[in-house]
Amino acid sequence: MDKEYFQTLAKQLMFHISEEEAEQLQEEFVILQKQIALLERIDTENVKEMVYPFEAETAFLREDEITHTISREAALSNAQAVMAGHVHVPKVVK
Amino acid sequence: MNYETVIGIEIHCELKTKTKMFSGAPVSFGAVANSCVNEIDLGHPGTMPCVNKDAVRLAVMAATALHCEIDPLVKFDRKNYYYSDLPKGFQITQQFHPIGSGGYVEIETDAGKKQIRLNRIHMEEDTAKQFHNEEGTLIDFNRAGTPLVEIVSEADMRSGQEAAAYVEKLRSILNYLGVSDVKMEEGSMRCDVNISLREAGSTEFGVKTEIKNLNSIANISKAVDYEVARQSEILNAGGTIVQETRRFDEASKATVSMRKKEGNVDYKYFPEPNILPIRLDAEWIADIQAHLPELPDQRKARYMSEYCLNDYDASVLVNNRELAEFYDEVCRHTKEYKTAANWTIVELTAALNKSNRKLEDHPCDPKHLADMIQMIKSGEISSKQAKTVFEEILQGKDPQSVVEEKGMKQMSDGAELLKLVNEVLDNNPKSIEDFKNGKDRAVGFLVGQVMKASKGTANPAMTNQLIKQELAKR
Amino acid sequence: MDIKTMKMQDVKTRVYDAIEKAKQLQPKLNAVVTFVDVEEQLEALKQIPSDAPLYGIPVVLKDNVNTKGILTTASSRILSNYIPVYDAAICEKLKANGAIIIAKASMDELGMGGTNLSAYSGPVHNPYDTTRISGGSSGGSAVLCAAGVAPLTIGTDTGDSIRKPAAYNGVIGVKPTYGRISRYGIIPYASSLDHVGYFTTTVADAAAALHVLAGRDDRDMTTGNEPVPAYESLINDDIHGKRIAVIDNIIEAVKEEAIVQSFESLLTKLEERGAVIEHVRLNDELLSVLLPTYFIIANAEATANHSNLDGIRFGVREAGESVEEVMINSRTKGFSSNIRKRFVIGSYSLFVENQDKLFRKAQKVRRLIVNEVKAVLDQYDMILTTAAPTIAPHPEDSVDEALSDTYLIAENHMIIGNFTGYPCMTMPCGFVSDMPIGIHMMAKPYCEQELFNIGSAIEAETGLKGITAEVKA
Repeated sequence: MDKEYFQTLAKQLMFHISEEEAEQLQEEFVILQKQIALLERIDTENVKEMVYPFEAETAFLREDEITHTISREAALSNAQAVMAGHVHVPKVVK
Repeated sequence: MNYETVIGIEIHCELKTKTKMFSGAPVSFGAVANSCVNEIDLGHPGTMPCVNKDAVRLAVMAATALHCEIDPLVKFDRKNYYYSDLPKGFQITQQFHPIGSGGYVEIETDAGKKQIRLNRIHMEEDTAKQFHNEEGTLIDFNRAGTPLVEIVSEADMRSGQEAAAYVEKLRSILNYLGVSDVKMEEGSMRCDVNISLREAGSTEFGVKTEIKNLNSIANISKAVDYEVARQSEILNAGGTIVQETRRFDEASKATVSMRKKEGNVDYKYFPEPNILPIRLDAEWIADIQAHLPELPDQRKARYMSEYCLNDYDASVLVNNRELAEFYDEVCRHTKEYKTAANWTIVELTAALNKSNRKLEDHPCDPKHLADMIQMIKSGEISSKQAKTVFEEILQGKDPQSVVEEKGMKQMSDGAELLKLVNEVLDNNPKSIEDFKNGKDRAVGFLVGQVMKASKGTANPAMTNQLIKQELAKR
Repeated sequence: MDIKTMKMQDVKTRVYDAIEKAKQLQPKLNAVVTFVDVEEQLEALKQIPSDAPLYGIPVVLKDNVNTKGILTTASSRILSNYIPVYDAAICEKLKANGAIIIAKASMDELGMGGTNLSAYSGPVHNPYDTTRISGGSSGGSAVLCAAGVAPLTIGTDTGDSIRKPAAYNGVIGVKPTYGRISRYGIIPYASSLDHVGYFTTTVADAAAALHVLAGRDDRDMTTGNEPVPAYESLINDDIHGKRIAVIDNIIEAVKEEAIVQSFESLLTKLEERGAVIEHVRLNDELLSVLLPTYFIIANAEATANHSNLDGIRFGVREAGESVEEVMINSRTKGFSSNIRKRFVIGSYSLFVENQDKLFRKAQKVRRLIVNEVKAVLDQYDMILTTAAPTIAPHPEDSVDEALSDTYLIAENHMIIGNFTGYPCMTMPCGFVSDMPIGIHMMAKPYCEQELFNIGSAIEAETGLKGITAEVKA
């Protein structure tokens, strides 16, 4: 895995990594591969993924009642660019 | 080369709930921007999803009506991608365990009936709405988090006509269920159509294009037809189809490239750790299924068997749910089903078209129409008079008072009419003579005179009969 | 100082003294990100019955707990301007029970660290020796409790982030059962491992705090419906016949002789009190993969959880020509190098072609580890081990949450508590080189009472109830 690989991967996550950071990742991935090899040694045949610490099913569903709405001012209060009551961003390039 | 067209369709429908899929903020169309949100819809840090019971209920209804197998264990997954209309940077959807699997929709085209198989129906949340202008993009988060169902068909359609029929039928079913507004023009129902061509007889799939931005059923068949022509032209010229997303351009009636697809995007799906698996109560599901509203096919069958309507009339009514509901209401008050169907299909539709109004905001009362039909039946008014009465019914008036106000009541009282007939005969000895000399049209003249004398209220059939009867006596 | 002692002072004195003390210590400890104005809260306190459990008690929140209208940064640059529009569920509970929130405490950036060296506002220092680390990620909260600023400070624990700093700073650290305390409004790290917990200086306070904080919250559907007992009044330090398992492979891996000795002498004392202490072993192979299992799951979930941090709706936005550029610039500058690298690893393990080998494999191994621990707790009331294997290190000697070739079971075993979701508590058990050391307990799900009961006995034996640090100049 070359540096470009990690830089492309970073771009998909909407950030850049520097040359140096990509190099560090290369090194970390060497360790990661060893750790994966360790994981592979463990027999997980017929073992189900554990997604939640407690897997008891629930029957809980939220009733369709309006609980709370925040004001428009609050909704926009943290946005750094607002125009005509909307969050404003430079044009989306499709 | 002879090509076969292969079409699969993905449909997103907004569910008619009061609140969002995962938050207690209101769902509303056309509200002031960013006024129907809370921190969950905005994807603020620390927020967690909470599944809307009614959204699940509506999804169960839809899955049942579409003959899907229902998974009573509801699970959700994260679909990860970055876009400014996606607040959390992931969409909560049901990738691994859709609430409904399999199923089908039966369509009818010129070629007859056909079942279009479904792959799945699953629940998810809508994105925010973006407006693009010179100065950039404006984002309104009101729509963010609105409950959706996505219905994915198998690639079973073979023509633009079938594609349109499929969407029309699905829309009708969802509309009858009341689970969604299904307004394509407002975006509460959105279609993505995947089209590819392959050599006739082949079982491989060709390279497909996806068409978005189809805001009416008519445009679906137009877009498919255009795309089929475009693709076959390329293939015939020895070219290859590029996998891409295209949109339908209303003005040019053509599909236009939006973006190339760089392989398959990896959405890195994984189970949503903040939503535990939810076991739907079997009785609850059974109860929902037992109380499903009448679906379009069932209603059509009922119209044909109970009301003895022909296939065409039944279809016309059923295809327009509001019209059908109106018709059903009319039929609660009259047994003249065929007449009621005619008035509803022909006169009412024409009036609505003329006034450019929707039935739901029209004051016309179905009981009034039924009463009017009864009055025609009993001979109280003539069919010709009925047209005038109907104009008033459309304004919300009841036929009885219209007839009284206008003094339109048809003279059907035998004695009264007989008196009038004899008066007319007395005043027209020449016509009697003509009649006796074999001039039959004298009868027509005399009827006309009676009508005139009665100011148009005389029952024409009775008048005719009485004149002949009295002429014979003279 | 514990809650009971503090309640002997009047409300204003205790609240303002706490703030004063925190301000005084700030140059030495750097534990506070934001001091909270208390006037309104003191006014609101008039509506709260004066016998409320936390009536007028100064409390500190980790800076990943959302506080409406009050800066909440999660110690990350990208949130360094974020003013929440809502309160976390626990804020509501704390306020309803009379607590006065006096400060937001420093943490590792987004909770993703174990040293508190990565906070946007700089490292937090250990009150016992300010040249040493506080540990993390709940370092600020641990330190403010240890220094006697507040008797109750809130933390979160994804991979020992409460318990490690508790051990380093000589306080009690509670990570209750997963789902015992609502996570609604807590800026997450990894949702299936995240726990809300807290620091106190006495077991009684720990029990009282859980009574306030625990309970079902419909906004966090992973919270349990189990009733919340009045833990404090139910504390019983008679541990006769209590079955306690010691995990030998963990203790054997502790290199610091003094820590092992201290631990063993505590075992003897507990036996003298009638506890049944037995030694068990966990599967070595499973223990050897604790860290990669944790690392893969935590980073994968974190990558998704932090995808909302894009500078669009909130947070620090960097300029750009297109919306994509805005996002990229905001996220590049907003996250430290380490965080971005970990997102890359997390994302890598979620790729379709990698999930079976990494993410799903880790989730399966997690189950095996949990089964292994569950089998022990089926036989015993509690698992008792050392907490951290060393005293708080100096920054240059510290190990952060990173993959490593070396086998660090003694360092990392507490993340088992995050895999299982079982309740855990660390508490001080002595000093080595004038620095506190701790022990770690784990009980069956929802059996926090067991932790408080046995913890009470331990507290009686160690004599370290209510200790705080005198911060030297």
